[in-house]
Amino acid sequence: MSMWRQFGSLALGAALGLASPAGAVEGTRAFFPALEAERGRLVINGATDIEAMEPLIRDFQETARDVAIDYTDYVTNDLYRDADIACRLSQPFGDLLLSSSVDQLVKLANDGCALSHVSAETRDVPAWANWRDEVFGFTFEPSVLVYHKDFVPPEDVPHTHGELTDLLRFKPDYYRGRIGTYDLRQSGIGYLLAFLDAQQASTTYGRLLESLSRAEAVLRCCNNAVLSELDSGNVYIGYNILGSYAYAAARRNDKLRIVLPRDYTLILSRGALVPVGAKRRDLAGRFLDYLLSERGQDAARREAFFFSRSGALPAEVDGPAKLVESGIGRPIRIGPALLAAQDRLQRSRFIDDWTKLIVDTPVRLRPN
Amino acid sequence: MKRRETSLFWRLVLRVALVLCGGAALLSAAAWYYARAAADDAYDRLLLGAAIQITANMTVDAGNLGVTLPSSAFELLGLAERDRIFYRVVGPDGGTLTGYDDLDIGVDVTAARAGPVFLTTEYRNVPVRVAVVSRALSDPSFSGWAYVVMAQTTEARRALAGELTSRAMILVGIMSLLALAGTVLAIRYSLLPVDALAAALRARDPQDLTPVDADMPRELKPFVGSINHFMGRLDERVTLLQRFIADAAHQIRTPLTALSAQVDMLDDDDLDANRKRHLGRVRDRVSQLARLTNQLLSHAMVIHRSDSVRFKRVDLGDIARKAFRSTVPITVDPDVVVSFEDSAEPVFVRGDAVSLREAIANIIDNALQHGVEQRLAVRVRREDDRGLVEVADDGPGIPPDEWSAVTARFVSSKTGEGSMGLGFAIAAEVALAHRGTVRFLEKGERDFTVILDIPLYQEGT
Repeated sequence: MSMWRQFGSLALGAALGLASPAGAVEGTRAFFPALEAERGRLVINGATDIEAMEPLIRDFQETARDVAIDYTDYVTNDLYRDADIACRLSQPFGDLLLSSSVDQLVKLANDGCALSHVSAETRDVPAWANWRDEVFGFTFEPSVLVYHKDFVPPEDVPHTHGELTDLLRFKPDYYRGRIGTYDLRQSGIGYLLAFLDAQQASTTYGRLLESLSRAEAVLRCCNNAVLSELDSGNVYIGYNILGSYAYAAARRNDKLRIVLPRDYTLILSRGALVPVGAKRRDLAGRFLDYLLSERGQDAARREAFFFSRSGALPAEVDGPAKLVESGIGRPIRIGPALLAAQDRLQRSRFIDDWTKLIVDTPVRLRPN
Repeated sequence: MKRRETSLFWRLVLRVALVLCGGAALLSAAAWYYARAAADDAYDRLLLGAAIQITANMTVDAGNLGVTLPSSAFELLGLAERDRIFYRVVGPDGGTLTGYDDLDIGVDVTAARAGPVFLTTEYRNVPVRVAVVSRALSDPSFSGWAYVVMAQTTEARRALAGELTSRAMILVGIMSLLALAGTVLAIRYSLLPVDALAAALRARDPQDLTPVDADMPRELKPFVGSINHFMGRLDERVTLLQRFIADAAHQIRTPLTALSAQVDMLDDDDLDANRKRHLGRVRDRVSQLARLTNQLLSHAMVIHRSDSVRFKRVDLGDIARKAFRSTVPITVDPDVVVSFEDSAEPVFVRGDAVSLREAIANIIDNALQHGVEQRLAVRVRREDDRGLVEVADDGPGIPPDEWSAVTARFVSSKTGEGSMGLGFAIAAEVALAHRGTVRFLEKGERDFTVILDIPLYQEGT
């Protein structure tokens, strides 16, 4: 069995010309041996930090003691590319895919690369977090602003996208090179959030982009890279950071504070999908059921993702009390509308425009 | 092999059910066809709307064709919640601008210049519905036709069509069941006269050969006519037969009387014992024959009178006394106690005195011939609105299971010695003609009793 998988991954590696580890920070592999004699091995390919997943995996193993879990952490774009190629070549690529970049999972499902899974747990998933019983959203993660208390005085703390734009406009020198966000070229989730920002409020987004450009924003591949810059004080404000990572970082460093924008807050539900090549579809289904179950959701709120659909905001998070009911929280509906984000022409032009403005424009030419 | 019993009801129900099933199948097929067309029509509009939204978002920028895919186009298609979406934007040179390069639908996209093209085909091994929409671009730097090929899987269409069809089928099924139930009721109702006719025929007296006069639907008239025709012929035959028997009896009586006289004249003194016994038998047989002939004549007379004589008000007691006197011979065995008990007041019935006397005489005669050992009692009385003549004897009587047989025409009891003759048949015939009956009371504490039961005379009837 494991021989076969190794062979499979070798073959896949050959087919891909060996996927380059684009994300050096994310891209680790971890093995969780079964608590008892191993009777099954579940291969998960995720674009989710192993630190976040570990408590969930261990808790799952309490309920399935004979299951070993092989978890590989990818960057969203790499995960999508490898899964797409594996699907085209009808090769196996893990038993379960987890990705924050749900648009990519939707695209995979649309291309027929997903197996459907129906159970008591999946029936309880709200419609916006379930497409075709193939892509399931199993988390509730607002996209937040994170700031470092020592460097951002209280009167500067932005509470809306507009306030952030204005802050960068009024104090350009102080915040130059001190704003951190995703590099859209590397991060699928960064692209998705930016794309949805542009759709939510195109004018605000345009102005914000100008301000970010002018402030020479620090671009990083991933959440944790931005957060570690914040942690070390190199970056004062992080924009469009996933709440779960932000909260984990804030727990480690009490100087980091979280703000949920009050004009609108995008809420991402991290997606899970069983690919067509899954060898242990049954185990994947079990793990998926666990993630969606009350026990899994509780464990996620306690130890992994900290926010939940039903629960209140975690302590010390600055945001509207009733996120979804107030209409401020905007859950990203997992469905075909996300295909627009995945159109290659659209994507390349969006990223090109962004790159032109944020990366290529010489500082002196940036709008002032 | 046992032949299956055929039933008009089941034949009709089976045929109607077959027609209904066929009709239901046909209607369901039609419903499915229309539901599919309706579902296609509904979802084609979404597909077309999405494609048009994309064409509307085409722009020409510095000689290059660009297209922005609006999320709303996909949201529109997302109304079909489970369906996958494939699209391809084709530039004027026929190259794919964006989307699924391999979405080749096998038709020339330029056909869409005249108007949107819809077709159903397969893509990636799933059935898809495709819409092709064109847009003419006329920019100074760039002109030509661009196309949007929009494809969507057909799950929602099929689900909608299936739902519409199943609802229609439920309706068709309910209608069919109602129709079948209605048919069953209608058939039952229209077959009622047949049952009624059967009941009427069954309820008839076996000797009643008059035409059936029941209120029948037109369809049964020929049937009833045939029955009546047949009964008429049977009646004629019976009448002929009766006349023949009466004639024959009449013809026989004269030589029989002579024969009887001759036999009586034979002197048996000088005969030896053996011949004497033979002569005795001959005498018995001759008298038996004479009695039977008389009965036959009496029977023929009774039948004749019942057809021709007008009934009058008569006193049953009077008639019974006359019959008693004429029947009980003076030479009756002195050991037998014979009694006649008349009613205190006259018992008037409507009838023919001659026939009634004949009937009572035959009953008494029967009792004398076959029953009486020591006691014979004849009573006339009145019970409610009926007049009764009871003839009781202390003989063995007739077993109940033969009661109906002995009153039938030309049938006599097999018990006892010899034949009982036609006595009861005559009595029954007369009773019937007078709308009465001949009944029996079993031998028990009382003696075995034969009762002639005739309704009392009533004014105006």
